[in-house]
Amino acid sequence: MATTKPKSGAVAAARKKQPPWLWIGVAGVVLLLAVAAIASGGSGKKKPAAGVEQTRPVTVTGSSLVELPTTGGDDPAEGKEIPEVTGQSFDGTPVDIRNDGRPKLILFVAHWCPHCQREVPLLAKYLKSNPLPKGVDLYTVATATASARPNYPPSAWLAKEGWKAPTMADSDDAKAANAFGLSAFPYFVAVNGSGKVVARTTGEITTDEFAGLAAKTLGNK
Amino acid sequence: MTVETVSLFLALLAVVAELATATAVVLAVGGRFSPALARLRRQAVEAVGPSALSLAGVVAVVCMAGSLYFSEVAHFPPCHLCWLQRFCMYPLVPILGFAVWRRSGRVRPYALALAVIGACISTYHVALEHHPEWESSVCDPKNPCTLIWVKRLGYLTIPTMALSGFALIITLLAVSWAYDRLEPPAPSDHPAPAAPSGRAG
Repeated sequence: MATTKPKSGAVAAARKKQPPWLWIGVAGVVLLLAVAAIASGGSGKKKPAAGVEQTRPVTVTGSSLVELPTTGGDDPAEGKEIPEVTGQSFDGTPVDIRNDGRPKLILFVAHWCPHCQREVPLLAKYLKSNPLPKGVDLYTVATATASARPNYPPSAWLAKEGWKAPTMADSDDAKAANAFGLSAFPYFVAVNGSGKVVARTTGEITTDEFAGLAAKTLGNK
Repeated sequence: MTVETVSLFLALLAVVAELATATAVVLAVGGRFSPALARLRRQAVEAVGPSALSLAGVVAVVCMAGSLYFSEVAHFPPCHLCWLQRFCMYPLVPILGFAVWRRSGRVRPYALALAVIGACISTYHVALEHHPEWESSVCDPKNPCTLIWVKRLGYLTIPTMALSGFALIITLLAVSWAYDRLEPPAPSDHPAPAAPSGRAG
């Protein structure tokens, strides 16, 4: 590239020293914004209520399910017995997912996942007027919890969405999610009365698909 | 200083960038129809033009520093779309720095190309945040592009801030270009070029 260029028109004229008002103005605006940001404290993170923990210890008994393949195809865990998971809700209430002879649907959600943020209110609204078939239990596992990630804490999020199903707060290392072979969010596991997996799926589903999953839990006893 | 404070500061800077860009667009378009706006446009170009490349360089530096803050200090891992925007923003720092150092507008087309590509990626990323189903119906447990790490003032996410930065850089490059093409002052005001060896831009 050439070292110096003759400038056309006004550029050459502007070789005259520019008054510094522009830079003083820019610096002033930046300073003003910095003061405004500091003065406001930048507050935004919600603090969980006292006694409420976002992660809790979880105990897993039995064999873990193989991870659900993300490529589709047959689910290798179908027909396999689920592991039993013992844990607690955010407030410490015991929540156990056991082979208790009852069909069940288990929903795994992450507070920061935008798809979970859309699925939970959809299902919460649906369940208000469309309860699950008699005898089918619904459990939720709030997993992959991280205070640095958005929409924290999950306890406040689920409460805000009016989510009523018993919710287990997964451990820091996501023991419950790993035991059920989670590969993406949101994650559904349908279990029949014999404690065997009848279906697993990931991603947002419609209310009809949700009802279909619930119906599946009643089959293959 | 907390991440919330810094992200609010960067969000406020983005608002200023958006206001500056919107003002420039109004003057550019309105100036074609209104002589008053055309006069204002000329005054703005004359005032900002000589420093436009420097200002664009400063915007690129602030954007780069902001993105490094989010990834290295706040520990928000960049997704692949964030990386693509970085590939467009980071080179603007040396390119515009070089332009300022050499007082040459010749790099403007390269800077403009990078900024326009970056703005397109940012626009897609912003759209993806509003329509996560465009990418997929599931969340990758590790680091999906649809994850909104920061949302300030109700709408300013990290890609929105990046888009504001790219837009302001494009605006300043346009102002610099317009300044070079202003009608020259009276011939007696400045000496004629010695040897025309190339165009300014």
